[in-house]
Amino acid sequence: MTVAEDRLDATFTALADPTRRAIVAHLARGDATVNELAAPFDMSLPGISKHLKVLERCGLISRTRRAQFRPCHLEGEVLDAAVGWIEENRRIWKERFDKLDEHLRTIQRAPSRPRRGKADE
Amino acid sequence: MNDRTPDAGELIYTRAFDAPRDLVFRCMLEPQHLTHFWGPAGMSTPLATIKVDARPGGVFETVMVSDADGSRYTMRAEYVEIVEPERIVWTEPGTGMTTISTFSDLGDARTEIQIRQTNVPEAARSPEARAGFATSLDRFAEYLGQLSGATGGRQLGGQP
Repeated sequence: MTVAEDRLDATFTALADPTRRAIVAHLARGDATVNELAAPFDMSLPGISKHLKVLERCGLISRTRRAQFRPCHLEGEVLDAAVGWIEENRRIWKERFDKLDEHLRTIQRAPSRPRRGKADE
Repeated sequence: MNDRTPDAGELIYTRAFDAPRDLVFRCMLEPQHLTHFWGPAGMSTPLATIKVDARPGGVFETVMVSDADGSRYTMRAEYVEIVEPERIVWTEPGTGMTTISTFSDLGDARTEIQIRQTNVPEAARSPEARAGFATSLDRFAEYLGQLSGATGGRQLGGQP
């Protein structure tokens, strides 16, 4: 699991940057070349390339070895893993809050609670 | 839940409860309350495993135990700030993730909790994440079972 965790860690770090998130969003619509990816940003090609390397390193994108165009491709599974962690975290808090809601109802119903807000039930 | 993800490194969850603010606040801080809800579905948090030293620098420790196979997930955190009955902040030194719980009085004895977690990247290593992954692997196994057209074979024992 360690390798997967390291990968996930790197993915989160890569996605912490708004430019890289925009690149990922672009690639979600389909493969694109570095030039196409650079177009919407006020950034040099080397600047974009640096971002692409970060994304490539964590496995979020891959590039074919074909000539100078080398279209970038989004690796959906890697993105899913990162999104999956966020979803799981959200689920834990949701279920925790479901239980807290139930617990609050229980203790407010109990007569032996001296410090409660309202006694109307 | 009115959730949003404003930044890749930050997560926010909110929920409103039908209870006065000081009671909700105490639930998030006192072991005899935490034991009732801290573990998500299928997990319990035995009272004896909860350590709360409610002051800045004080320890906040919980052990979530899986009801299914008894596997344990320890969370070790340290309180950063406790402002009764408004705010509790703790940080997990192992991951660097900081969790800020804010309690808002909505009137009519209702209270909203907002959980804001920052420094999320490293948090993927946290016990909560591991616990979550275990259940998501189970669900994934179940999903695969459905895809492969398994009939009635939904009882897949996914080992965490």
